Amino acid sequence: MEYKDYYEILGVEKTATQDEIKRAYRKLARKYHPDLNKEEGAEDKFKEGGEANEVLSDPEKRAAYDQLGTSYRPGQDFQPPPDWDAGYEFSGRDGDGAHEFSDFFESLFGREFQQQRGGSSRTQFHAKGQDHHAKVLIDLEDALHGAKRTIGLKLPELTEGGHLAIRERNLEVTIPKGVREGQHIRLKGQGAPGMGSGGAGDLFLEIAIRPHPVYSVQGSDLYLDLPVTPWEAARGAKVKAPTPGGVVDLNIPNGSQQGRKLRLKGRGLPGKTPGDLYVTLKIALPPADSAVAKKLYEQMAKDLDFNPREKLMRAAGQGEKARAK
Amino acid sequence: MSGEILSEKNKLALEDICERCGLPETTVMAYVEEGVIEVDGDDVARWRFSELSMVRIQKACRLERDLGLNPAGAALALDLMAQINELKTEIKRLQQDEL
Repeated sequence: MEYKDYYEILGVEKTATQDEIKRAYRKLARKYHPDLNKEEGAEDKFKEGGEANEVLSDPEKRAAYDQLGTSYRPGQDFQPPPDWDAGYEFSGRDGDGAHEFSDFFESLFGREFQQQRGGSSRTQFHAKGQDHHAKVLIDLEDALHGAKRTIGLKLPELTEGGHLAIRERNLEVTIPKGVREGQHIRLKGQGAPGMGSGGAGDLFLEIAIRPHPVYSVQGSDLYLDLPVTPWEAARGAKVKAPTPGGVVDLNIPNGSQQGRKLRLKGRGLPGKTPGDLYVTLKIALPPADSAVAKKLYEQMAKDLDFNPREKLMRAAGQGEKARAK
Repeated sequence: MSGEILSEKNKLALEDICERCGLPETTVMAYVEEGVIEVDGDDVARWRFSELSMVRIQKACRLERDLGLNPAGAALALDLMAQINELKTEIKRLQQDEL
């Protein structure tokens, strides 16, 4: 088990006042709250900060933590000294308990501090169990074809002794075909168990789609960049293009410019109204690295009356002077 | 195990949404008042919520609990988050066009 420096986590001095600790925690919570910060690792930082705050904001726990001494370094292997907490009485206050605490925390303060999640007014009125919320990262292929995914969940549970234990369980969940980024799947009764006659809470899964090397996703539409040669774009051509449903022959209209978007209707994510696949043309220039290529470029330069800057120079009021030779 | 995808089209009455979120009516009404969620219908008995309101309510609850916000603050945070997400999507789209 690793020692945690709660002061360092919150970025405060060991001498910080309770107000300073509260301010530091709020600041960290605003920055890393998983509802506000979708970046990887944010949730862990948020939980770590919550744990630090749980200890340092409570004078009793803080005093007990402080007397562990200053000789430990963060990450160092740690075992609590025997009777380390003698003389401290933890009030077991109804923490907001929204956090899963580290082994380090539990070895010091036990699990009974983690009271029923949610707390406050919620459970007083209804005995329905707490709803849970989890994010699921799926591959684009899962959204295209549907999939079964095993999701590992940590659930707090009351033991017979009235203590809270963390139970891990795996759920095999069907990812419906055509699911979109940001959609929520509700699994009825898969949240926390209810009290008395109250039913269990629900589990909400928020869908996120992992970036794909070929397609990018926006809502139900897919986007694909397709390289084409200058002559395919200029003269029109039939080229092969990948789509999730397989290779298609795509007609490039003649006179196509860089960035032209072609829509393949219904080739995006499936659904009642399937999304479309947008193909953006990217004109790739052949390198002038061979005698043949050099000759062709030279010939074009000589024979074609083409000045791509003409309009630009005229717009800048410098049309005639800067004419390319 | 299969779930259902929450949809804007599925509508819930006040008592349904309270039951599903495990919240008292007064809390949900405060959320309507502060604009955390929107509602169709002129009269409380005829109020209809979109299923997606549940997600906003749950987020608001978490923000209040974890950040010490009140419902108005949570509503503001949710609106700003929605704006940021739209802008991020737009930036992604523009960057793609540039490549």
